[in-house]
Amino acid sequence: MSERSSRFRYGYSEIFVTVLLILLALVVIAPLIIPLLFAFKTQLEFSYHPWSLPKALLMSNFSDAWKAIRIDQGLVNTFIVAIGAIITTLPPAFLAGYIFARYKNKVTEVAFYCILVGYFVPAQMVLIPLYKFEVATKLSNTLYGLFLVMATFGIPFWTLIYRSFFSGLPNELTEAARIDGASHSKTFFRIMLPLANPATVLALLLVFIGAWSDFLLSLILLTDQNLFTMQLRVNSFLGAYGTDRMPRYASAAIIAALPTIILYIAGHKWIIKGTIAGAVKE
Amino acid sequence: MSREPKPKAHGVRDPKKGPFIFLFLLPAFLFLIVFMYYPIEETVRLSLTKTTGMGSGVFVGLENYQKLFLSEEFHQGLWHVFTWAFWSCIIQIPLAFLVAFGLTYYGNKLTGPLRSIFYLSNVMPSAIIAMLGKFIFAPRYGIISSLSSAIGWKWLGSIDYLGDPRLAFWSLFAVATWAYTGFPIIYLMARIEQIPRELREAAELDGASAWRYARSVVLPDLNYPIRILAVLSTVGSIKLFDLPKMMTAGGPGFSTVTLGITLYNQGFVNWNYGSASAIGVIIFVLSLLFTVIQFTVGNREGKPI
Repeated sequence: MSERSSRFRYGYSEIFVTVLLILLALVVIAPLIIPLLFAFKTQLEFSYHPWSLPKALLMSNFSDAWKAIRIDQGLVNTFIVAIGAIITTLPPAFLAGYIFARYKNKVTEVAFYCILVGYFVPAQMVLIPLYKFEVATKLSNTLYGLFLVMATFGIPFWTLIYRSFFSGLPNELTEAARIDGASHSKTFFRIMLPLANPATVLALLLVFIGAWSDFLLSLILLTDQNLFTMQLRVNSFLGAYGTDRMPRYASAAIIAALPTIILYIAGHKWIIKGTIAGAVKE
Repeated sequence: MSREPKPKAHGVRDPKKGPFIFLFLLPAFLFLIVFMYYPIEETVRLSLTKTTGMGSGVFVGLENYQKLFLSEEFHQGLWHVFTWAFWSCIIQIPLAFLVAFGLTYYGNKLTGPLRSIFYLSNVMPSAIIAMLGKFIFAPRYGIISSLSSAIGWKWLGSIDYLGDPRLAFWSLFAVATWAYTGFPIIYLMARIEQIPRELREAAELDGASAWRYARSVVLPDLNYPIRILAVLSTVGSIKLFDLPKMMTAGGPGFSTVTLGITLYNQGFVNWNYGSASAIGVIIFVLSLLFTVIQFTVGNREGKPI
């Protein structure tokens, strides 16, 4: 294939397709951009000139939206849940994944299939017993009652990921460490776990995003408004305030979407790479 | 457990190995036993009992299932879930293929940024997607209504996209297409990028057009990933809950009811645990069925996934 110096190597067809894709991309992010046009206006200005640039940068819609759903409290709760989910998902997953990769025998094989089953159980299936169990044990309406369940539904998947990651590491490393007299657990924590850092970074990001985004489990397990996560607050906002006061609605949408957007801008390469790696594994 | 025969793993007999394996597997199993295995057993048991409170209830056999199969809400839920799955495969996957092919065929400086933009809405929490979906389709002030009023198309602005029972389902579907086509795009892109360069060069030497290359080289290679995507969207549709719950609450009427919504309504609105658990079992069986199909398809293909 000839290398030409032009940025568009294929001429008009490339320019045409690229422009088309750019337009499509604009349509795709439009719902995230347009709220910016509405959010800084008064209701009056919005109803007369919804599509013009705002005359002044009015901030009161943001503070209204902030107060209406107590976003500060929501952020704190969601953050606790997400961190809790990470702390309780990763260690069980990397410990089990290591065993399944490196200590293969009949018993661990059976154990592996038991964990694999968990990967196919949708949370919806066990919603009722989970709810009953958490109410009976006073775990419902606690943040840890929520993230423990999230961890349970994350562990099978991450065990699979860690298993395939540890399987890919060369055997000689562990053998050498074992010959030097390191115990099983020392070999794991000193040598193998640090080598699994790529998988761990991936897990950190994706577990965080998953816990941050959860709706169904939070909806069932949290009824105390003070404990509501961001997504539950957004849901209450949708129920309580219609779209009639659009500027405030748009402000709330911006505030609610912002944490994910920031995280995405910072980590989009990792997130996409990790998602594909996870999907291709299956 | 420590008495297992030793294969090649470490050569020498090691009495510490058994306890070590046990300790390392323990945390994962503690989680799964308490929050998954036990609840699974309970779901099955509850689905066979009649209970409304905290009492243990009476065994009624398959009565809950029978009642479900006769209820309008369940029929609608089942119908919507599979209609949703069908149209996801018909619309979202071909769309994703076109975008993925366009982005990879002319790999230039914009490919990376565009891929990131297409995937952005996929990492958004469903609550935000629902919020933005309402923002798009709201009557009077929503994007579509106010934009079409601004350019004078009053008829388009006066449609109630989420309140009209004939339209609500399709409005939700449009929101999902907007929000979730990014995953098939990046997945197919990753697959297309794995196609050896030589094939592309050979096609170009033969004077094959982009379209011809897409049809004769790329598409056959994507046969398997596309089927995987079809299974994934079907399983996803079976579990559909968040968007209809937040945007229309299953309404108006039963027009956007899904299996998940029916489960929620039975369990947490009517407090009918037996019926809700029966739906849970049905959701599990259906999604397992399609996952098994995925694996058998995968095996027949003989490819490591």
